[in-house]
Formats: sequence, structure tokens, C-alpha cells
Amino acid sequence: MIRIFHNTSYDFIKWWRHAAVATVVFIMLGVGSYVFRGGVNYSIEFTSGTLMQVRFTKPVDDGELRAALDAGGVDGAEIQRFGDATEYTIRAQNRAEGAAVSDSASTSAVATAIRAALDAKYGAGSYTAERTEVVGPRVGAELRTGAAIAMVLASFVTLVYLAFRFEWRFGLAAVISTAHDVLITLAFIKLFHIEVSLVVVGAILTLLGYSGNDTIIIFDRVRENLRKGRKQPLYDTLNESINETLPRSVLTHTTTMAATLALLLFAGEVLRPFAVVMTFGIFVATFSSIYVASPVLLWIERKFPRAVSDKAQVSRQAALAESAKERPARPAPSGAAPRRATTR
Amino acid sequence: MSNLKYRLGLIAALVIASVWALFPRTVVERVKRDGAFVYDTVRRVPLKRGLDLQGGMHLSLEVDDSKQAVADKSDALDRALKVVRSRIDQFGVSEPVVQKVGTDRIIVELPGIDDPKRAEDVVKAQAFLQFQITDETGSLDKALSRLDQIVRDKGSAAVATTSTTGDQPVQKGLDLFTKKDSAAPGDTTRRDTAAVPGLNASAGPFSRLLERGSINGEYYVAQSNAPALETYLAMPEIQAALPPGRELLWGSDTLSVGGAPYRTLYVVDARPIITGEYLEDAKPNQSPIEGTIVEFRFNNEGGRRFRSETGKHVQDYMAIVLDDKVMGRPPVIIQAIGARGQITMGQGRSLQEAQDLALVLRAGSLPVPLKVSEVRSIGASLGQDSISKGTTAMVIAVLAVIVIMIGYYRFSGTLAVAALVLYVLFTMAVLAGFNAVLTLPGLAGLVLSVGIAVDANVLIFERIREELDRGKTVRTSIDEGFKHAWSAILDTSVATILTAAVLYQYGTGPVRGFAVTLIAGIAASLFCAVFVTRTFYLVWLSRTRNAQTLSI
Repeated sequence: MIRIFHNTSYDFIKWWRHAAVATVVFIMLGVGSYVFRGGVNYSIEFTSGTLMQVRFTKPVDDGELRAALDAGGVDGAEIQRFGDATEYTIRAQNRAEGAAVSDSASTSAVATAIRAALDAKYGAGSYTAERTEVVGPRVGAELRTGAAIAMVLASFVTLVYLAFRFEWRFGLAAVISTAHDVLITLAFIKLFHIEVSLVVVGAILTLLGYSGNDTIIIFDRVRENLRKGRKQPLYDTLNESINETLPRSVLTHTTTMAATLALLLFAGEVLRPFAVVMTFGIFVATFSSIYVASPVLLWIERKFPRAVSDKAQVSRQAALAESAKERPARPAPSGAAPRRATTR
Repeated sequence: MSNLKYRLGLIAALVIASVWALFPRTVVERVKRDGAFVYDTVRRVPLKRGLDLQGGMHLSLEVDDSKQAVADKSDALDRALKVVRSRIDQFGVSEPVVQKVGTDRIIVELPGIDDPKRAEDVVKAQAFLQFQITDETGSLDKALSRLDQIVRDKGSAAVATTSTTGDQPVQKGLDLFTKKDSAAPGDTTRRDTAAVPGLNASAGPFSRLLERGSINGEYYVAQSNAPALETYLAMPEIQAALPPGRELLWGSDTLSVGGAPYRTLYVVDARPIITGEYLEDAKPNQSPIEGTIVEFRFNNEGGRRFRSETGKHVQDYMAIVLDDKVMGRPPVIIQAIGARGQITMGQGRSLQEAQDLALVLRAGSLPVPLKVSEVRSIGASLGQDSISKGTTAMVIAVLAVIVIMIGYYRFSGTLAVAALVLYVLFTMAVLAGFNAVLTLPGLAGLVLSVGIAVDANVLIFERIREELDRGKTVRTSIDEGFKHAWSAILDTSVATILTAAVLYQYGTGPVRGFAVTLIAGIAASLFCAVFVTRTFYLVWLSRTRNAQTLSI
């Protein structure tokens, strides 16, 4: 029998301050990047514009292609090599509405212009347009708000369900942890300039569920351990629960990671952003279920020191005693100020 | 034992049902054969592939209220939907999707269509047919000096505003004539006189853009001047100064005069002598003299009106106007015309264009103008490529998970792998059963779910190990393992299903598909991990009496 992390007793929660700092710094970097380096790199599905994926019969030169498009009057086109040397994506803004009524009345005007420019330079038949996407501004805006509303509502429903099945504090902790995952993934997307397409939104939504699962499984164990009615500070119960579920966490993350890597390596360019975001997300989900969900639960317990479970009888007194007991284990004295605030 | 029989029976029944649901069947379908569409029996795999996997075109249409306000868009779209659907049906695509989404959009999906422009034109064409007599009185010529004056007064200001708003095509037009001119920019009048020789080289900035055509009310405009002219025509002052009761319409053709492309502009009577509402039939044809034509026929009432109106306009030229564009060169009316007529599309036009026009005329005009707000077209080869890559990723993911599970859990891992195989089968069957469409993101979700689906088994196995560690017997450990893992499995599943339900309710297209895949996956995973694996254990326990050790 192979066993990993069997009967461990790591003090995970001890590190929550480090984890919190790392998390906040990362999210701040994302926000900073958003503020100073401009908005999110939305794909045309969310903004509007024309995208054409073109495959040439023989390799072409980037500069030449750009010159051809400029000459064809496709203004400010963005060219990107896609996969191998013969495939490119060409992105251009749709012309401003109301301009030149006759020619741009057709939505595919820009696509037609691109084709014309390529025909002129390389000759018809020297390329195939594999994919053409033209999106108007309204569709993109609706997609964006739709996804956002769905995410917020999904979080709310999760909160209500967990409040019903566990206790409100578990639900709140799980939702905060999931929100953390989404925020950090958004920061990652921003920092690494990943294009936000529908596929990437799909990855974020998948993550929403995945991260929730992870937290629920640890909390389920916490609930069970609390029911045993041992007189033990919540801090220890949380650590114990995380350690007990550790083999499961490691194995499940491994299989999920294997599937994600298969996507990353074999599924091609279109799904690559999905796989990249998921790969990062799996790490974050693991991290947050241990270092975010549990400390948040502990924090809520201190703020509202009532029984976590009837049988556990964690009273206000016990919570205070617990925090006092925990003190020597703290890594750095710098955290004194917030502690006073929470234990008062 | 009998309990076990029922369990195995249920699993077997579900497997058979799934295989049956996924088995390719023969259906009667509209297919393209030798260029024509016929009904034929073909084999079809039930799990439909989305456009991104099989190639095709997706259009989304909205009411275009830029010209006129539409009070009840939802109702207007309902009416438009019928027209669009009948056009698409005649277009001859197997399994097209035409549906209203929400209250303000029509979605059209055309699998296998590789000419986006053509499909877009057919769907979008308003098919508003009018017959208008070209202006006999030369009223535009008389107004020209006044128009020139307006442009001189307003022109430079207008040019300044348009260029700052980044009006690309207009700017392009202006660039073109600044290049031809060496005069200092800003000096509008001088620059104008130096440009392309117009109707009157010494005339003002407006009339310079026009050249008189060969029939009454016809003008030629150099292609490069057209955007500038349109900007002028859009000015309210110019609009007010145009001759009353007349309309300016572009021709559909581009002429070549002395090697340079020219467009035609017609001045016509604003009141049409007849509109397309009396149209009964239209069909394409090819004539050696006039090129590609569309022959049409009015109904009796229309024929009567047409005869009396054309009778009043003998020797005049009649513009055939489709969606505010003059089709071909206006023919001269030699004598009163009855119910039959034709639209000349000109030489060099393909029969397909005539076919499309006839199709649009037959299917009727749209009750409201529509605009295309989204077009996606995916080549068939790219779709095929996505499928093969997605399948490769799927196979590798499954193999990797199999290796991990068997390597780590040995015998129990094998049971989990068997359950996993059933999971993939069941999930696909559920998707097929709900007529779900497999898209590229859906495929990615499926691959990923293979990794996640074993989670329930992992939870159970870890629990069984814990129970074994406590020194319980194999049989008790298995029972306890399943019992203790259940609450965690249930809570995660329900939480995820709730999330997916919300996504389904509030998400748009692709997000919805994702939610359906998610729910199908969870249901299948729950059944496989809990019920199927348990059954396998029960079978094993019944065969190995008094099992002392469990390979887990």
C-alpha cells in the first residue's frame, strides 16, 4: 500500500499570516497592473471587433503581412502568430458605427477588407480563413454582465446551502475562500496578460466549483470532528481536519492536474488559455482551502464566539483561552495589532 | 445476494441504455448531393457537435433601430423570425438553427456553410422592393450651386469634426484627395478645385464630386469621392437643400470609366410607383444580352397597378430599388408593363447571386430592419482539428488518471477505473439524451472532469484506509468508508449542482452548455463512485469469503 502524507500533523494554520500577505500582495499586484497598465485584455467576444484566423500554404513574414494589411486599409490590425509559422490571427476593430454608410453597413466589411488585402498581396488560394469572428459591442457587454451576475448568484446559493447544511459561518468562510480564488485568478490573468475569452470564463467558472468542493471536504471533516465532542480548540480541530484530508487533497489534485496538463499539452492553441488558467487555479484552490478557508473560519469564530456546533461547546471563554494558547506559536510579533482587534 | 443481482442488473441496464443512446443511427435528413438538396437516410452520431467542432457559421441578429424606432422589439422579432426561418430553409442547409434568444435577438446557426458573406446577405436583406421613376427634371443640377455654397460654409468645420472623431472611411477619402493636391492644407477652396475633374471643374466642392451620367437623373461618382459625398449628404443642411420630392440613391454596380472605378448615383422620385408587396414569385435566370437577371411576377392587383403606372411613364426610366439600392441600370419604359418584369443584375454577376436575390424576394421582406451583431464562422478543417486534438487530450487524461489510480490504490484503483469508464459512458449518454451540443469548451470540461470525477472514489478509499487502520475488518471498513464519505460527497455534489443551475439560468449560450455538461457529469460521477464501486466491492466480497486483506 502506497501512502502519502499518512498521519501527518502539520500546523498549517500557523502560516496563515504569511499566506494572507502573499495573497494580498498578489491581488494588489493585479489591481496595480489594472490601474497602471490599463484594462483587461478582453478577447473580441467581449469587446467587439473582427478576428480572423488564417492559415497560409507557406510561411509568411510578420512584417510583410502587416504591411499588406496596412496597404489594404485594415487600420490598426493586430497580428499574432498562432501555433506554427503558417498560422496567424488578425484582429481589427470594427469601424465606428455610422461611418461610411454603404461599405460598413455589412458586418463582415472588415473581414472582407482583410481578405482583399491578403488576396492582393499573396494571391487568392494561398491561404484559408479557418475562423472568422465579428462581434458587435452590445453582445460583448451582455456576455460580461451575464457571467458576472451568474458568478455572484452562484456564490450566494452556495452560501445559503452551506449555511443550511453546516452553519452560516462555514458557508461564509467557504464563499470568502472561493471569492479569494476567483480574485487571485483574475489577478493572475491580468498579470500574465492572458486574453479573457469565453473559454477563460469557462475556466474561472470551473474553478468556482472546484475550489468550493475542496473547502467543503475539509469543512465536512471539521464538522465531523466537532461532533465527536472532544474538548479541543477549533484551531487544533481545523489543523487535524486538514491533515486528515491531506492524502485525499493531494491525490485529487494530482489526477485533476494530470487532466489539465493533458489539455495544456495536447488540446491545441484554442484551449491553451483554459488549461493555463486551470493549472494556476488548481494550485490556488488547494492553497485557499487550507490557508484561507480555515483561518477565515477561525476568525469568524473569534468575532462571533458562539458554539460552532452544539456538541463542541466552544464558548466565548474557550475561544479567548484558545487565542491565548495559540500566541507562542505565532511566527512573528508584528501581527500583534490585528490580534488585539480580533480578540477584544 | 439478491440485492447484488438487482444492483448488477441496474448497472447493466444503464450501460445498455447508454450504448444504445450513443449508437449511431440512421435518420432521414436533408443533405446536399451534387449541388442539390435531397432527403436521404444518413448515419448520424447522436451527440451533436457544436459549430466550433464541425465548422459552420453562427449569426446573431438584432433589430436595427438606427433608422426608425421600433416600439415592440420582441414582437417585431417574432415576426422577423418567420421570414428569416423561411429564407434559411430555402437556403438549403441541413439542420439549421433559427431561434429567438431572450427578447431582442435571433440566433442563426448554419452548419457547414463556408461563405459567411453570402449567408449574412441572405439573412439580412430587407427585400424591400420599390420601383421609382428617375428624375426627369434635372432638379439636382438646379440645386447644385446652393449645395456648393453650404459645403463651402460648413465644409471645413465638418471635416475638422469628422477627423477628430476618428471616422476612418471619411478620413481615408480626404487623405486621397489631399495626396493628389499639393496646395497647403486648410485652404479648402483651392484644394477643391485641384481635385478630380468633376461636373464642373471650376464649381464648388459639392458639384465637383459628381459627373453627369448618360440618362436623366444619373450621376457618376469616383469611388474615392464616394465617402466624402456621403458625409456631405448626411449633413442636415444639405438634406434640407436637396430638391423636394426626390431621393438620392446609390446604384448597386461599380462602373469602370477610363480604368478608374466609379459608382452611380440616381436621383429618383421619392414616391414609388409600386412596391414589392404584390410580388408573387421570383426566379433567377441568365440572359445573353443582359447577363444575370431575376424574373418576377406580380399578383393580379399588382399587375393592374403596375400596368397603369408604367403606362403614365412611357419613355421615362424606371429604377428598380431593392433596400435603397438601385439594381442595375434603370430601363426605359417602352410601353405599359403588366404582371411580369425582371431585375437586371448586370453582366459578370453569378447565378448564385440571382438565386439569393430571388430567394429573398420569394421569402418576403422583413417586418423590421435587422442588423447582424455577431458573426462567427469556423472552417470545417479547424473543427476537425479541434476534435482530434481534444480526443487526444481526453485519451491521455484518462490514461494518466488510470495509471495514478491503479498505481496508488491497486485493486481498489482498478474498481475505480472501471467506474470511471462507466462515468465517461454515462456522461456522454446523458448529454446525448438531453440533445446537448458538444462544443470545444464542453470537450475541455469533459477532459477535466475525468480528473475531478475520481474525487469521490478517492474520498471513499481514504476513508476505508482509515477504518482499516483502526483495525476493523475488511467488510466493516468498506461499509464504514462509504458511509462516512457520503456526507462530503453529497455536499460537494449538491453545492456544484446548485452553482451549475444558477449558471444555466443566468448564463448565456456557452456558459449554459457548460452548466449542462457539469450537471450531467456530477450525476454520473455520483452514481459511478458510490453505487457502481460499491457494487463491485460487494461482488468481490461475495466471491472472496472471509477476505482478510483489501488491496487499497
